[in-house]
Amino acid sequence: MSELATLARPYAVAVFKRAKETDSAKTWSKNLAFLATVLTDKSISGVIDDPKVGTSALSTLLLDICEGQLDQEGSNFLKLLIENNRLSLIAAIAEIFETYKAEDEGSIDVGVTTAFAFTKESKQHFNATLEKTFGKKINMKIAVDLSLIGGVLVRAGDQVIDGSVRGQLQQLAQRL
Amino acid sequence: MQLNPSEISDLIKKKIENFELSTQAHTEGTVVSVTDGIVRVHGLSQAMQGEMLEFTGGIFGMALNLERDSVGAVVLGSYQHISEGDTVKCTGKILEVPVGEALLGRVVDALGNPIDGKGTIDTTETSPVEKIAPGVIARQSVDEPVQLGLKSIDAMIPVGRGQRELIIGDRQTGKTAIAIDAIINQKGTGIKCIYVAIGQKRSSIANVVRKLEEHDALAHTIIVVASASESAALQFIAPYTGCTMGEYFRDKGEDALIIYDDLTKQAWAYRQVSLLLRRPPGREAYPGDVFYLHSRLLERASRINANEVEKLTGGKVKGKTGSLTALPIIETQGGDVSAFVPTNVISITDGQIFLESNLFNSGIRPAVNAGLSVSRVGGAAQTKIIKKLGGGTRLDLAQYRELAAFAQFASDLDESTRKQIERGQRVTELMKQNQYSPMSVAQMAVSLFAANEGFLDTVEVNKVLAFEAALQSYMKSEHAELMANINATGDFSSEISTGIRSAIESFVKTHSW
Repeated sequence: MSELATLARPYAVAVFKRAKETDSAKTWSKNLAFLATVLTDKSISGVIDDPKVGTSALSTLLLDICEGQLDQEGSNFLKLLIENNRLSLIAAIAEIFETYKAEDEGSIDVGVTTAFAFTKESKQHFNATLEKTFGKKINMKIAVDLSLIGGVLVRAGDQVIDGSVRGQLQQLAQRL
Repeated sequence: MQLNPSEISDLIKKKIENFELSTQAHTEGTVVSVTDGIVRVHGLSQAMQGEMLEFTGGIFGMALNLERDSVGAVVLGSYQHISEGDTVKCTGKILEVPVGEALLGRVVDALGNPIDGKGTIDTTETSPVEKIAPGVIARQSVDEPVQLGLKSIDAMIPVGRGQRELIIGDRQTGKTAIAIDAIINQKGTGIKCIYVAIGQKRSSIANVVRKLEEHDALAHTIIVVASASESAALQFIAPYTGCTMGEYFRDKGEDALIIYDDLTKQAWAYRQVSLLLRRPPGREAYPGDVFYLHSRLLERASRINANEVEKLTGGKVKGKTGSLTALPIIETQGGDVSAFVPTNVISITDGQIFLESNLFNSGIRPAVNAGLSVSRVGGAAQTKIIKKLGGGTRLDLAQYRELAAFAQFASDLDESTRKQIERGQRVTELMKQNQYSPMSVAQMAVSLFAANEGFLDTVEVNKVLAFEAALQSYMKSEHAELMANINATGDFSSEISTGIRSAIESFVKTHSW
């Protein structure tokens, strides 16, 4: 996982810089997401891994599939990945690109797990508090998990704020 | 199932009462791979170098390699239950171990947990395992002795408080024996001892503990154990743990003595950890920082001045210096001191006690090679009387070594050469000393005096030790006051000199041996 990120980073950085130059972060985001879905599809990945399929055949095939979905730069990027034999990195590239994009826009993806669903007001209130703590705009993804027993668990990147009853019980168990 | 002492319901109740809930933000990562105690963790972007990481099941690890997308960590303890995908938490703390007086008389593991079955250790303070050694301003030069209680060492290779004196030799040459004698001799001197056993057999560690108990020396000793069966990470950490426990006493204005038995095994453990972390191997496959591994450890053994002690204790202790003396042990292979780790540690320490297997096998125990052993700073710290009397011993032995080859042609030699050889033989014999029988300054002074003043010259070589034993028991029963006086002052006045001389003269006249 970590090795993938190391390999994917230069591609993601290059794409992000190009997107900033041409002010096309949104289209790139869509392109990468589309490529990721296509390339991780089972039947396609089978063809990619097939040693009998040459690079030229593969690139015509993939460009045909993506016809109409990718702009010129997008298909250039795809060709580059085929040439460097790095198609397997596409999911990691898309992920890193998204984090750069979010950082640039001053927003942050936050996963919030609660024991009970939020009411509308409490959600708004919670959102405001999180915005204050992180100092960024919050893209909240809420999930309900009864096993937390109570409270909330906030996850942003590898930062975790554990305010759940389950976590507190774990702390207590450890102290004893 | 056995009940743990900490599981008594009153205690549990109290713990629940005092339990503080904390909703802290922490950083999490996931385990990518586990290989022989080395864990690669994805995430943990906030981890510090040397930070404690918490794995599932309450096991801790230490972050050693901080890379762009992953953290390489060692697991301190069993790693069998850790699997790919487990979450790992940052604790925000550098690895710390408990310190304090309560540890004295106990046997602990490399993380400071008791392993002697005597219950929990009542310590209140903890201290980081890795610390920077005291600076130049904080230090004071070494000028007080640590008596190891061994004639050959205290007379010729003296060790001062705050010194680092290496004990080096092949296997089975009595390295540990010197260390144990040194600990036993500190009984009643106020010097606290720490014995760090690294990569040793559990049976030999149990032996050491039993011997110290038998000689009533465990009460002033902490034993830190990372045995051969424990993970390489713990063996690598153990010396630092022991050092931290010793520094506690040093920083309080007391004196402590630490023994690392032995640093070769620690270097092996560190080599294993480093290679598994994929750090590039260098000479003998050790990583590039194996010198720093030992230098940063041994630098922490030092003498600090009264100002620093006052500062560290917040003004509670005034006018007292503190010291941590280190006796690292290195095991050589076939007497090869030019291997990588031995040369490193020789260059770091303030001298070495060199033990030789052929001396050991010919019955000279402790098997100290007086020619190759040196103490670079201990001379300034030596007790006056031993310094005065021991100088002659060193010279006698040096001259004897030059002439020893001629010893077999005794009849053809001139008078003075023959005398020197005979003196040398007797002094060599006198330097033998039994294990677990350290000597006081006065006892040593008497023995050395007898050798210097030629009282031994008329004694047969194989009777020298018997002569010494008889002389010592005579001095003990008939001249207790003189002996007490020497032990108290350590001076060598003409009064003491004539006192010893007349005592030995009357002993020679009236006693047999």
